[in-house]
Amino acid sequence: MFFRALRHFEFFEPKTVAEANELLLSYGHQASVMAGGLSLIQTMKTGEKKPEAVISLQKIDSLKFIDSDNDQDLKIGALATIRSIEKSREVQKHWAVLVQTARCIGSVEVRRMGTVVGNLCDGTPASDLATILIAMGAKMRVTSSGAEREVPLENFCVGPHQTVLEEGEMVREVRVPSLGDHSFASYVNLARTKPDITKVSVGVLVKNQNGACGDVRIAVGAVAPVIVRVRKAEELLRGEKLKASTIEEAARLAQEDVVVRPITDIRSNAGYRKEMVRVLVERALTDVVDKMNGAHAH
Amino acid sequence: MRRIVCTFVVNGVTRELLVETNALLSEVLQDDLGLKGVHVGCGTGDCGACTVLVDGLPVLSCSTLAVTVRGKEITTVEGMANGTKLHPLQESFIEHGALQCGYCTPGMLLASKRLLEINPSPSRQDIKDALAGHLCRCTGYNKIVDAVMAAAEGEE
Repeated sequence: MFFRALRHFEFFEPKTVAEANELLLSYGHQASVMAGGLSLIQTMKTGEKKPEAVISLQKIDSLKFIDSDNDQDLKIGALATIRSIEKSREVQKHWAVLVQTARCIGSVEVRRMGTVVGNLCDGTPASDLATILIAMGAKMRVTSSGAEREVPLENFCVGPHQTVLEEGEMVREVRVPSLGDHSFASYVNLARTKPDITKVSVGVLVKNQNGACGDVRIAVGAVAPVIVRVRKAEELLRGEKLKASTIEEAARLAQEDVVVRPITDIRSNAGYRKEMVRVLVERALTDVVDKMNGAHAH
Repeated sequence: MRRIVCTFVVNGVTRELLVETNALLSEVLQDDLGLKGVHVGCGTGDCGACTVLVDGLPVLSCSTLAVTVRGKEITTVEGMANGTKLHPLQESFIEHGALQCGYCTPGMLLASKRLLEINPSPSRQDIKDALAGHLCRCTGYNKIVDAVMAAAEGEE
């Protein structure tokens, strides 16, 4: 016998979502769901997770999809890889910001193995995808035996790596609202090197209402136990024209928002992260203005 | 299930093994099949050293359960040479001094092999994008990019 980094577990490869739900129900908290496996295998190596059963979704063909009709929500199945989002022509065309965000994540290998839904379910507050998707108002479709519910991604995490998923539940897909012709999104992040974990990130969605800012959502990642929205800055912007001075003021409000309470770790200190919230909010909003002007010019 | 009979085509040879479900692909390749060219660096998916090709695509073997790739073709660095004749990329790495300690080299070579298959004449930036996430702690990145560029030019 050879040394193995992982403890023993029962391994299941259900072929349907219903089968997976049943297995999840019978094993309860003893079970872990595996999509791409990247984060699950890491947490099993460290011993943070010690599942009795690993339920792999990899054989459930009905979860391998990206459904991207521009007029409707973008639907990303639980097995769609980050790489497949990056490569999808439709996503490139109508949800370009997601492609740009996907490219901020790890290496090609990581993006090929890792799934979008898996990344969201991992529940790290530094998730690039979760930051932009919260700004875009994405929703998680959660299934369990005989039931299905929808959870806004914004409310999905309750702490670092802690989600609202209950015993027997799993995420079937994530839905991203269509941007249409009037909404503009931007994602900016800071990381030590490109493939490294994000130190601070900002996702912004602005609805253009006759040249002024209609609905607006600003999500900030890696500055609190969960990804947060900076509502004071959002309120300031609503109904306003996005002038440089307004953007600057909103960025300042974002930095000072009480929800922004970053930690100091090996990558950055808290003071720097807080400062960067202002810089990144300003950059993201400026980028949105550029996109609005660009769209207007066409 | 705790053990599964798995068939892998490893470097062109069909291998049938009884694999524990908790075994990582890197462990099966190194321990059960003796392929010591599979180098595990960080074990967390950050360094790319353990990269192997699964059905031609670069995958991190330290973060893959072996049973999930049963039935697939797996290529390790040992499968790049044809007998005693090295792969053009390997020749180019030697020519350009693109390795010092050599620990990252198998991952670099396999990821580069895939790159040249889909993009036979890459720019330096294409190479950097494909090799992002492959860490060389001797920091010999320029020579690695030089070697891949030269191998691509040689193949044209």
